[in-house]
Amino acid sequence: MSVRVSRTVGRTWHGTAILLILFFNLFPIIWIAMTAFKLDKDMFTSHLIFTPTLSNFTTIFSPPLNFGPLVVNSVVVALGTILIAIPIALTAAYVFSRHAFLGATAILVWILSTQFIPGIVVVIPYFNLFRNLGLLDTRMGLIIVELSAVVPYAIWMIKGFIDGLPREVEEAARIDGCTEIGIVRHITLPLAMPGIAVAAVFALVATWNDFMFPLILTHQNAETLQIGLMSTVSATGIQWNWMSATGLVIMIPIFILSFLIRNYFVQGLTMGAVK
Amino acid sequence: MTIKQGRSFAWAIPTRGTRERSARRQRVMARIILLAPALIVILATTTYPLISATLTSLRDWQLIYSPNPGAWVGLQHYADAIHDAGFINSIEVTLEFTVLSVAVSTVLALAMAVVLYKPGRANVATRAVLILPFAVSAALKGYSWKFMLDPGYGVYSKIIGFVFPPAQGYLWFTHKWWTLLFLAMSEVWGWAPLMALMFIGGLSAISPEIFEAARVDGANAFTVFVHIMLPLLRPILFIAILLKIIFSLKLFDQIVTMTGGGPGDSTQTLNYYVYQTAFRDLNMGYASALAVILVLGLSVFAFVYVKVVLGKAE
Repeated sequence: MSVRVSRTVGRTWHGTAILLILFFNLFPIIWIAMTAFKLDKDMFTSHLIFTPTLSNFTTIFSPPLNFGPLVVNSVVVALGTILIAIPIALTAAYVFSRHAFLGATAILVWILSTQFIPGIVVVIPYFNLFRNLGLLDTRMGLIIVELSAVVPYAIWMIKGFIDGLPREVEEAARIDGCTEIGIVRHITLPLAMPGIAVAAVFALVATWNDFMFPLILTHQNAETLQIGLMSTVSATGIQWNWMSATGLVIMIPIFILSFLIRNYFVQGLTMGAVK
Repeated sequence: MTIKQGRSFAWAIPTRGTRERSARRQRVMARIILLAPALIVILATTTYPLISATLTSLRDWQLIYSPNPGAWVGLQHYADAIHDAGFINSIEVTLEFTVLSVAVSTVLALAMAVVLYKPGRANVATRAVLILPFAVSAALKGYSWKFMLDPGYGVYSKIIGFVFPPAQGYLWFTHKWWTLLFLAMSEVWGWAPLMALMFIGGLSAISPEIFEAARVDGANAFTVFVHIMLPLLRPILFIAILLKIIFSLKLFDQIVTMTGGGPGDSTQTLNYYVYQTAFRDLNMGYASALAVILVLGLSVFAFVYVKVVLGKAE
């Protein structure tokens, strides 16, 4: 086989492989996006051409489904979680990065290992505690439990970023009489902003996509969109076009956020273990 | 990432002892103030439930009969677990699922990485797409795959029926291994592209001269893959597989949205079984014992992972 022929064959193989990869990754997303705009009569067909409708979105946002409050709950819980988690993770990450003290490594290992406590272990005691405290089915209760997964992760993530920052500016500020808290606020915070943003996006995605905690801890008032998916089940089965419309509402903001931090995605998930 | 001695230059400037002491005291105070909120939150949201679950696991507590935990029963629940066929089944299912989904994810991820690791416009554009499936919530993954695999109108069922006509209209979710496979596929769909991104990072760090030299020596693509790529990817492969194992052992969301544990109890994972025991049977004492067993099982893998991450950090 001549070089040119083998190169053409190679290119065709490569092109086919890329098409297969695109199909595998994107097809379910495209299919959900299309079904979200299908009428009931088109829902069970595999036609690529159909008359699109917005009726599914009107349906899910009007009674009896009424997903408006669910969107609010999802947004409030996700934002509330990161608004608590990120500042406290930042200050802790600063201390672990810049102060040396007895037991620092041990505490860091403890924090890292809490990442692997499965959610069901957290939720059983909290379900019983919240039942006594009247926090079941509240957004506050949900935020408290979501913190269990987000804070340890954010500390490690932000610490990794602060480790990479130069110390000189901090030292200068310290000589000028700046306090430690002042340094975190006026120097580390702006310099570590990219790392903080990545940690915040990861925390936001994790909380927004969480299913187990709202499934167990909410019932009506604090239900999130993920639980809304379950309400699209009707007497005749799942109303797939409603489910897809809800799915699209869930996916779009997360895709935008993930795309913004795409270069840090791998590093973020593995907490820097893979660069 | 090292934890360096955090001394400032200020220490080099001669000062009187008292000022030095007060500066150090101020520094220790600041450290406590900065650390305390995060440590309190972690203690309250992870350590407290862990201790609470461990204590509850030693008590009799049926929520239908009593709102409060009852008598201490020692290790009775743990002894019961050994003879609980449903629990043993859930361990088997979890391990089967884990092996299946880790194997398929790793193979697919390697294949995608080999196709996409070289620079070039098409490759870079395709890589950008790889983060999308991972960002889809697990609950939605379960519903969408269930939808696409419906024997009557599911689009994946139709494609499978087109490629392999005898499978047309086959009821996938009535058979244990098909259900497990598609459950795994819904998870692989998110993980394989993510692992591929990790591998691409590793492969693009390998110098092109190595591949060139191998080609000059007459190595074919397969030899290059086995003898150059795989050995150089080993550390990343290790972390990626470890992470995937830990997440697979915790599978829950798709069980609720895709299979409901069925057919029969053939996809009841450990996590789902604990959930059923706690919130359907309302047997909090026994569920807590099962949850503690789950933690112990996971901690083996978590321990290795923590060691690896710390090894990289130092």
